[in-house]
Amino acid sequence: MTKQNIKQQIEGYDEIQAEIAVLKKYAHDRRTDKGAVDRVINLLHPKELKLTVSEIIEETASSKTFRLISADGYLPPFQAGQYINIFVSLAGIISSRPYSIASSPAQTAYYDVTVRRVEDGFVSNFLLDEVKIGDSLTSTSPAGLFYYNPLFHGTNLVFLAGGSGITPFMSMIREVTDRGLERTITLIYGSRDPEDIIFKDELEERAKRHGNFTFIPVISDPPSSYSGHTGFITAELMQELLGDAKATIFYVCGPEEMYKFCLPELDKLGVPKKRVRQEVFGPPKYITMEAGWPSGVKGDATFEVTIRGGETIPARADEPLMISLERAGITIPTSCRSGECSLCRTKLLSGEVFQPRGVKVRKSDRQFGYIHACMAYPLKNLEILL
Amino acid sequence: MPDYDVIVIGAGNGGLTASASLAKRGAKVLLLERHNLPGGCATSFIRGRFEFEVALHQLSGLGTPEQPGPLRGLLGQLDVLDKIEFTQEDTLYKTMIPGEFEVTIKADRAEAIAALKEKFPGESGQIDKFFDLVWEFCMQMVSIFFMKDPEASREKYPIYCKYAIKSSKEVLDTFFKDPFLKLAITSYWGYVGLPPSRLTFSDMAMLLWAYIEFKPYHIKGGSQAMSNAILDTFIQAGGYPRFNCAAKKIIIADGRVKGVVTETGEEITADYVVSNASNIATYVELVGEEHVPDDKMKMIGSRSVGPSGFTVYCGLDCEPQDIGIDVSTQFISQNTDMERQFAAWRTFDRPEMCAMTCYDFADPDFSPAGACQVAIINLQFADHWLTIPPSQYADTKYRYAQYLLDIVEKVYPGFSDALEEVDISSPITHLRYLGHPGGGFYGFEKYAKDSNLFIAPTSGIDGLYFAGAWAGMAGFQPTLESGVSAAKAIYRKMNE
Repeated sequence: MTKQNIKQQIEGYDEIQAEIAVLKKYAHDRRTDKGAVDRVINLLHPKELKLTVSEIIEETASSKTFRLISADGYLPPFQAGQYINIFVSLAGIISSRPYSIASSPAQTAYYDVTVRRVEDGFVSNFLLDEVKIGDSLTSTSPAGLFYYNPLFHGTNLVFLAGGSGITPFMSMIREVTDRGLERTITLIYGSRDPEDIIFKDELEERAKRHGNFTFIPVISDPPSSYSGHTGFITAELMQELLGDAKATIFYVCGPEEMYKFCLPELDKLGVPKKRVRQEVFGPPKYITMEAGWPSGVKGDATFEVTIRGGETIPARADEPLMISLERAGITIPTSCRSGECSLCRTKLLSGEVFQPRGVKVRKSDRQFGYIHACMAYPLKNLEILL
Repeated sequence: MPDYDVIVIGAGNGGLTASASLAKRGAKVLLLERHNLPGGCATSFIRGRFEFEVALHQLSGLGTPEQPGPLRGLLGQLDVLDKIEFTQEDTLYKTMIPGEFEVTIKADRAEAIAALKEKFPGESGQIDKFFDLVWEFCMQMVSIFFMKDPEASREKYPIYCKYAIKSSKEVLDTFFKDPFLKLAITSYWGYVGLPPSRLTFSDMAMLLWAYIEFKPYHIKGGSQAMSNAILDTFIQAGGYPRFNCAAKKIIIADGRVKGVVTETGEEITADYVVSNASNIATYVELVGEEHVPDDKMKMIGSRSVGPSGFTVYCGLDCEPQDIGIDVSTQFISQNTDMERQFAAWRTFDRPEMCAMTCYDFADPDFSPAGACQVAIINLQFADHWLTIPPSQYADTKYRYAQYLLDIVEKVYPGFSDALEEVDISSPITHLRYLGHPGGGFYGFEKYAKDSNLFIAPTSGIDGLYFAGAWAGMAGFQPTLESGVSAAKAIYRKMNE
């Protein structure tokens, strides 16, 4: 007997065949499913956003808010604290930088991103100096992990912000105060001088109107007449301001130097690591000063990177591989540009790279030679697979 | 000459094993994947100091080196056993209704029987008889389908023919009285996505038998390690993977496959295409209705999309034992009514059951020292998720996740306080990352009518083959096997 035959000898076989006949006779027309999956995804996580600058607001001498509306009529929702990665094309190079959305997630008619001038800021200075109302930009859809998670963050939040690191907090503060959410927020915001405080008036106004929001600016370089808190955000200052911070969760966002200073201060306060949430902040300023950088490799050393099946390009040791690729006209997917999102995961076929602490490469990716190109620095000639 | 012998669309389990098998046999293979990494479901993501396993709960079919299962041979041929490490679990699961009953079933027939008899002494005799039936049934099934007995008949294999497509519920009801006992024996029903009334006895028996005979396994580094290892074999065998590159069209001319058009509009020719995408997407989006045989269109229209799932990934800053967790896999039910538990998969109501996997027993290095990770999962269909306005999606996820955490907190007080990282996947997440209708990671539903007893595995289009959960059974072992089957079929055709 053949296999076909034994199937037919199974008890109930004929009844099932009869059932199949009915189902096929009245089959659902699957052609109606065409495009259905993409329609769902495009409402939540479209691959790319086409944006138009609708307004530019001067915040401080060195920072502006760009109000971005959708060129095709729809912006997806986001969680307060998330960012978009904005792409720009200048001097023949396509690059991108992530910017936290500062506006409240209660509305998605527009996203505000607030940009502060930084020395040699390739994208930020372009945005500040060149972009006008009506200009078009593209970005990723909102992403990132720096947001409030009601499942385990509790309701007592302390935000430590530095400089332009205020932007994700601004979105969270606007959401909580506008919606009347049951969370208590204390914002400790470090700035160089009082003129540097982004959103100063709005923060003071919201603090005045909402009992669950406290705003404490801390000025590192105060004018002689300044009467508020000065210096840095130290353990002593936090102790004084917060008292017992046991039930508190801390969120930290600011420039690289701020983490180097504030995280040990939180340690001194005895805050457990799991009660400290940090936003990522891009590649370190001085990679050759990072722990573990091999002393034999100079920052300005240049190596050859061969892309399998493609060209060979030059790459400086002190620049992330992603930037060397962009200089050569090769853009690879990216969102966070900080080693976290893993979109730029790239196979290293030969050679060696340096990836600083905190780059989130999967265990087995390390075993099989994958790197995150946005935070990988060549130490030898490389061959990669894109 | 076409550009490639074979183009494989999708680097999920099935796409990966198809690619690697073909490349190892000397075929020139292009593997296209929309995302930036291989694995599909078989992947991981990092949050804080945790690397979360996305999908693998218990790997079946591996067996020990002394008593190898089918998967060990398969992975051996793909050189995967040399590249990564597998760790064996000695327990199938703990199953419980909090405050009412619990039993732990070991991955050993005698011990499993003993544990059940101790809990249900009144039904001792029936427990023996039931296990005898399951074992006899499975031996007959192995003999017919795996040993391919050329003279298989009803007379020779009466148990198989009598029970194969009976409902599990019918069989359980004839054997047992105590509803707790039925729940204890059938706890794996969620692994197929159908409650006992709809789950065939074949599927239920094979789950129990195979997990006991071949033991449940975990993978060091998680399922992403296996995906990376299979891809590594593919690359070493000269295969061409291309990530961040979706297929947009399968080119059909003169009734057969000619190649693929990518999302960038590039036309690449090949004699064969393996689709690891869903059957629905393959026919409707990639092939195009004008090329799909009427019968195949009716076939996909006659079948329903299976469940997706909702998982809460928890990183805890304690050892599992610190809060009383003492087993890798457990099922926590609120009642013995599995039919009702299944019905709740279509609603946002509080879930009536969940599975919970702690990965740090089988592999103490899975999480950082002093920490552990737990995945709490309940299956969910996607339909009701598709009715949620985008602006309310996040809150809906949090609410449902809270329900699952509440269940676990009751059993393991202190669980919530130990949370250091939490993230969530919903049916929408699976729909996004897999591209499957309904986020269905089990493919079509697995009724008797959907088994390969009734559905021909052919595509109806010359040169087009399927791999993955939509092509047959679901889960890690079947999908890994499906890719190898597709590869073998193509290899045979190439050498005709």
